[in-house]
Amino acid sequence: MNLRIGAISVVELLVAACTACALSAAAADDLLAPEQAFRFSARLIEPGLVEVRYRIANGYYMYRDKFRFTAIPQSAGLGEARFPPGKIKDDEFFGRVETYRGELLIRLPVKSAGAFTLQAVSQGCADVGVCYIPVTQIERLVAARSSDDATKSGGDEPDLLRRLRDAPPSR
Amino acid sequence: MKRPGRIALFLVAAVSALAAGYGLHSWNSATAPVSGGAEQLMAATLPDMEGNFQALAQWRGKVIVVNFWATWCPPCLKEIPEFVRMQEKLGPHGLQFVGIAIDNRDKVREFAAKFRINYPILIGEMEGIELVRRVGNDRGGLPFTVIVDRKGRLIGTELGGLNEQKLTAIVAPAL
Repeated sequence: MNLRIGAISVVELLVAACTACALSAAAADDLLAPEQAFRFSARLIEPGLVEVRYRIANGYYMYRDKFRFTAIPQSAGLGEARFPPGKIKDDEFFGRVETYRGELLIRLPVKSAGAFTLQAVSQGCADVGVCYIPVTQIERLVAARSSDDATKSGGDEPDLLRRLRDAPPSR
Repeated sequence: MKRPGRIALFLVAAVSALAAGYGLHSWNSATAPVSGGAEQLMAATLPDMEGNFQALAQWRGKVIVVNFWATWCPPCLKEIPEFVRMQEKLGPHGLQFVGIAIDNRDKVREFAAKFRINYPILIGEMEGIELVRRVGNDRGGLPFTVIVDRKGRLIGTELGGLNEQKLTAIVAPAL
């Protein structure tokens, strides 16, 4: 069968059409929900030390200076967050900014020996040119007596429940 | 056919396909407009940069481009100079931009001055976030632009960056 239309092969037409479909696939229509783009979890990895993990979807990134962590109650005594080095980029509006992609592990010292709720505010964007309104995600953490079973209490909580609890940040 | 001709034809095909894709994209729009979204938007009242409450309904009768933005959102800042130009050019023909900033007032003021924004800016904060969702942007992505015609009907929504050409194509038939 002759698959040529004039001088352009069907393959070329398909390639051309797919340039369009690839672009529209990358467009904002397919934007992930923020809690899927920036999957959050937190656990106590040893007494007095929380590890916060974000699994950042491909094509998305987070800003270092937008993270805010608070403990409820405040008396849980959250220390200063320790971030790994990110990627420095020169933003035309903000100058030098540090961003993260892929997996991000942040460590937070905590004084509490009991249970507390960690509230994490974060903000990120998609490469397609959309930025998310800051998202607040929470995790209930329980400091166990022995470091061996120090764990989070909300581990079995269905994702949906957590998503329902996720609320826009207070300012 | 010689090679340059084939390349030219290929380019034409690619551009047409792109245009078709773009057309579909515009009409299928970035977000599913919620029925009644335009009414809810037009019924909103938010404070301006001076703290005075402004009802969006005051611009009824014009073609209104409501742009949700924030100073922490680089793609939002990128499109604002084009909006400023379009407001100047098409304002006399009945086009009215209204910016709703999901941000705090001091930062917004600073940027509005820096960008010489020539259209009203309202401060959204929490209520603005609610409004963004009610108009059908459940992902909470910015920039997000909603275009309403002279009769208050929704004629377009766009999640992500807009440019003058793209926006003119949406507003021109309504002006």
